[in-house]
Amino acid sequence: MDIFGSFALLLAFLVTVYAFIAGIVGILTRRTLLTKSARNAGMAVFGLITLAVASLEYFFFTDDFSLAYVAAHSNHALPLYYKFSALWAGQEGSLLWWSWLLSIYVFLALFLNRKRHPELMPYVGVTLAGVQTFFLLLNNFVASPFHVLASADSAGVMHLARMSEGTGLNPLLQYPEMVIHPPMLYLGYTGFTIPFAFAMAALLARYPGEKWIHITRRWTMVAWCFQGIGVLLGAHWAYAVLGWGGYWAWDPVENAALLPWITGTAFLHSVMMQEKRGMMKVWNVWLVFVTFMLCILGTSLTRTGIVSSVHAFAESSIGGWFFGFLGIILVVCLAAWYKNRDYLRSDNQLDSLVSRESSFLFNNLILLAACFAVLWGTLFPVISEWVTGSKISVGPPFFNKVNVPIALFLLFLTGVGPLLAWRKTSVDALQRNFAWPLVGGLIAGAVGFAFGFRSFYPLVCLILSGFVMLTIGSEFYRGARVMRSRDGTNLLTAVGELTMRNTRRYGGYVVHFAMVLIFVGIAGSAFNQDIQKELKVGQSLTIGPYTILCQNFDQPSNENYESDRATLEVFRNGKSQMMLYPERRLFRTSGVTETIVANESTPVHDLYVVYAGRSPDTNLPVIHAYLNPLVKWIWFGGIVMVLGTCLAMVPDRRAAMVLRPVADRSWGDAIAQGGSGSPLPSPAGSAPVRRPGSHD
Amino acid sequence: MTDATTGTKHKNLATRAGAALLFAAMFLVLAPHSRADDSPRAKVLSKKVMCMCGGCNDTAGTCNHTGGAFSGPCDTAKAMQKEVAQRVDRGDSDDLILQSFVQEYGPTVLPDPPKKGFTWLVWIAPVAAPLLALFLIWELVRRWRRRVALGPAGGPTISPELLDRARREADRESDE
Repeated sequence: MDIFGSFALLLAFLVTVYAFIAGIVGILTRRTLLTKSARNAGMAVFGLITLAVASLEYFFFTDDFSLAYVAAHSNHALPLYYKFSALWAGQEGSLLWWSWLLSIYVFLALFLNRKRHPELMPYVGVTLAGVQTFFLLLNNFVASPFHVLASADSAGVMHLARMSEGTGLNPLLQYPEMVIHPPMLYLGYTGFTIPFAFAMAALLARYPGEKWIHITRRWTMVAWCFQGIGVLLGAHWAYAVLGWGGYWAWDPVENAALLPWITGTAFLHSVMMQEKRGMMKVWNVWLVFVTFMLCILGTSLTRTGIVSSVHAFAESSIGGWFFGFLGIILVVCLAAWYKNRDYLRSDNQLDSLVSRESSFLFNNLILLAACFAVLWGTLFPVISEWVTGSKISVGPPFFNKVNVPIALFLLFLTGVGPLLAWRKTSVDALQRNFAWPLVGGLIAGAVGFAFGFRSFYPLVCLILSGFVMLTIGSEFYRGARVMRSRDGTNLLTAVGELTMRNTRRYGGYVVHFAMVLIFVGIAGSAFNQDIQKELKVGQSLTIGPYTILCQNFDQPSNENYESDRATLEVFRNGKSQMMLYPERRLFRTSGVTETIVANESTPVHDLYVVYAGRSPDTNLPVIHAYLNPLVKWIWFGGIVMVLGTCLAMVPDRRAAMVLRPVADRSWGDAIAQGGSGSPLPSPAGSAPVRRPGSHD
Repeated sequence: MTDATTGTKHKNLATRAGAALLFAAMFLVLAPHSRADDSPRAKVLSKKVMCMCGGCNDTAGTCNHTGGAFSGPCDTAKAMQKEVAQRVDRGDSDDLILQSFVQEYGPTVLPDPPKKGFTWLVWIAPVAAPLLALFLIWELVRRWRRRVALGPAGGPTISPELLDRARREADRESDE
């Protein structure tokens, strides 16, 4: 079976090399048959890597420890679903997983466009095959998961060997979210290859217009959404498993995952400038290039150990390959851009600094500033060591100091952007659109102040969150009011209809709403409390409104781990509220300990209790309790983000409607009010109505 | 009530207050030293030194590196927290405590890079880079606007049909 897997992987490499070379020759010689053959080869790679993945999974599920990789990451006692996820628990398997996910994207991109864009697709196919060749090169010759175990006899002759038991899966990865988190993140990382390939292809083929932007919009959103889910799941895993009471530590690998998401966000906004006004063509191409390069940089940081990280389990000497690949990509991108830079000339120019265009420009500037600050802080210890020879640290306080103001400015722009019109916004429109949201934000701030939000940044965050919520609400309300008065439906139905008629715009607003929820959740961390105490049975500790009474300590165990567990009763105002069971597990095979946090989560706060082990001085059990406000808002924001993104990807429902012949009062009213305009699409063939501030 | 009585009462009050102050001072001196987790100052300070375990890239106060005997903060972070608490109890100033860690581990123990020499760059660049970008954007917009302003005077005459078409196009764009 190992030979089967190895063979499938080797064949996949050869086929993708063929796709790459045949694609280039096909383009140069303009032989259609050859480009079709290259495309089919590109699609066939998916099937071959699938066979290799299936083969490796077979080894995991049958507890066949003749493969070094399986022996190092599984054992008999491992539950079935963790045997499945053990595939990406180590270097070799995770690279194979990467290749497989990439091959899915490649297959879909080539298959779905097989009859479209004949001038563009050969270039896309070549770019995708080039990327795939690199990963399959690693899979086959640098980090193969199909290495068999062998032992030498007394004569020095090597014989195949099989271990009776494996080492087992890293206990930190034995958590349901770890079954989902890496695939989500990898789907993000690999997904950005598609817009990269289309951007590169459009540049090389000098493909006319903004078609590549239209083609890749949904692909980019898919990758962006998966990347966001991956980042949030990682944060949730850190919160739920690591037992330190937080969810984000600015670890280099966390930062690396965040970077392409930030540039992806910038791209999703700036493409609108190109679609609407034919502007920022160079910027967009480079945003996609940089996003893809950050994906490669991210995965190389995870694997090289060049910067110290909690993700040390994935370190190896493979980094050189990634940095080499990164260099090649940079050179290719620079060459492609330099050769075809005249193709990227803007059709239009910025008319006013108070316009939708400039808000996108600032949005991009701030997002890029955030990206730069994170990247700079992550890599600076390495740079400093190179330059000065002495090592310094750049820890979480630096990232918080630099990024909090940037993030708040971004939140401000989230509210401002949708209220500005394309081209130019009049002072009247500004006053009309901003007055109520601004008042609402200030009221939110005043209420927050009364409830104890006294720190500067959380208070500003609250004011801005209120402001953004109201701008989003007013956008929905304005559009729905027009629709309701025209169709006579109720407001809720009108909101639904409105949303479905311009899913991109209103899905985008839902994502903005999600960001507000996440920001509020993060602002809550300014009010975290925690207490750590040695507790005997019958003793208690108090945190916030809760008193935690220790009822018992016991040692439940099973064949996978031994455990130390506390039984705690939680009281509020003298009344028993719940029982909590924080636990520490010692895994038998690996000897690693893991914290099982007891977390009672509500929208107001999380009561997060950790069994922190026994005190080395007194041998008494130590309980560490945290009261973390508003954390749930972050996870809820993540769910809303996914829903918003899905909504934005749904095709618009274009109703076959006819505008009333006589100017509708409410329609006219809406226009007169200036707002950001009605969201109603113009009926085909009818004269379009000028809508100040109309936008996506 | 005579002045003498009042004076005696004042004297008694003063004696009592003095005794209370002495008692409070003795209590503060003799009371058992609080542990790092119970002292807000020690807590803040332990977040101003990096955990030197080499695996978490976090501060000693917030170390999340699991696997230590004392899970949550690892053994290294725990020892550093303890040292901070001891020094706080001894009455050392914040600067003195941080300096002692720098002497022991070098500047890498500080999560905030020092604002001097080459490491100034880490602080300046995240501010300077966006400002520079902002300046470039400003310049770009200024040039565009100047070009637009100069355009019609020296440019070709636009026919009413072309202007009308352009307006229709603009309206259509706004509609989308």
